[in-house]
Amino acid sequence: MSSIVNLSVQQREHGDLIDRVFAECGVDVRRCYQCGKCSAGCSVHICNGMDVSPNRVMRMIQLGMEEEVLNTKSIWACVLCSTCTARCPRDIDVPRVMDALRIMAKKRGITKGFYNASVFHDIFMNSIIRHGRVYEAGLLVSLKLKQSGTMFADLPIGIPAIINVAFRLPKLPPKMKNQDQIRKVVENCMRIEGEN
Amino acid sequence: MRFAYYPGCSLHSMEKAYDRSVKAVCKHLGVELWEIPDWVCCGASSGHSMGHLVGLAIPAKSLVKAEKEGLDVLAPCAACWQRMVWVNHEVSHNPEMKEKISKAIEEEIKGTSKIYSIIDGLAAIGMEKIAQAVKKPLTGLKVASYYGCYYVKPPKVAHVDDPENPQLMDNMMKAIGAEAVDWPFKTECCGTSLIFQDVDTTVAMSKKIIEMAVKAGADVIVTACPVCEMNLDMRMTQINKRFKTNFHIPVVYFTELMAFAMGSTPREIGLDSGHCSGTQSLLSKIS
Repeated sequence: MSSIVNLSVQQREHGDLIDRVFAECGVDVRRCYQCGKCSAGCSVHICNGMDVSPNRVMRMIQLGMEEEVLNTKSIWACVLCSTCTARCPRDIDVPRVMDALRIMAKKRGITKGFYNASVFHDIFMNSIIRHGRVYEAGLLVSLKLKQSGTMFADLPIGIPAIINVAFRLPKLPPKMKNQDQIRKVVENCMRIEGEN
Repeated sequence: MRFAYYPGCSLHSMEKAYDRSVKAVCKHLGVELWEIPDWVCCGASSGHSMGHLVGLAIPAKSLVKAEKEGLDVLAPCAACWQRMVWVNHEVSHNPEMKEKISKAIEEEIKGTSKIYSIIDGLAAIGMEKIAQAVKKPLTGLKVASYYGCYYVKPPKVAHVDDPENPQLMDNMMKAIGAEAVDWPFKTECCGTSLIFQDVDTTVAMSKKIIEMAVKAGADVIVTACPVCEMNLDMRMTQINKRFKTNFHIPVVYFTELMAFAMGSTPREIGLDSGHCSGTQSLLSKIS
């Protein structure tokens, strides 16, 4: 993010961002008065998992900093624990806003803020569309092949844990009578969203 | 009491100990479970990030089958539970969305089935009845009840118990004779599926929870969520290496302790083999 922002230009070109976020998720970010309580209680942020704190994400929406906010890691790193929502004095559902920003970023193909998260969501969706349920062994293999830098990230769990996991993890895909149920639902959703 | 049972993907793969212990406790307490036929994944943790409608329609696909049967749902996974609760929330507050969901699943969703988590589902039976079913009280065992976030937050939608200091699981632990330790991180987040995206951040999140439970003097951490269990239990060695700590606290499902206290053997419910952190110390303490 550049250190100097021309607010007039931002407002002129992206001033409606706050309205589009509202249309996507029904949360009015205008209400935020920057107390910072969301960031103070955010476990992901406290453990350095975000590049921009949640209250700053809210401020970026207010200022119309569309490109900057859609390129943050934070919008993908939010795990929807909703501690912020529980504590927000302005009754803002921050994770719903994060979800809306992810959907907006995804539509525009912006994933570089947190590439590994975007890859995870794609692989997860492919897994359930194909099998109807999560096929964990297949999911893990796909993640290791497609994410960057995670190939050996799980080895430190130790050999006893690896053996235990290998023992418990089903090797074959889940069995269902009709495994195309989610595929059909997703196709219908795309058609319905296309109509509107 | 009869529920439509929605186990979810984890309970049918890695977390069989949870599935078995939930079924065992229900059997001991006379709760009948009817597994939703050919249920599908709830879509967590990705469906809702792909689109608002798709995030609701996927869990609705299984929920509508329970509605038709006229049963309330019992969903022991926190993520599954919350995804279904969101469906009912939208169906009752947003007629337009209700119609869209119905179109997407090609069946009418009405929102008539209440969604119970395993926590409020069992608590509804009553602490007295739970206590009466106990054959081997877990006297002297200090338990840290870890609720995680999805059951209690956001409180306007997900409200099994208080968002900052829930008590239901603690009360159930007391009912089976154990001691519920008072500790402050009951609803801190473990990192959930961030473990598949950013291991460094997630283990730092999980470490804080384990550390606090150990400081509070707990012998065991109990959870009611497959992802919480996975993050705390499976990553213990990794956390010890990374942070130069020496944590060796078992992490199990609260239903495993309940089933054990009510007479199930560790092998029946997977208490002996279903966890990475090792349950030998726990088993020798309670046997």
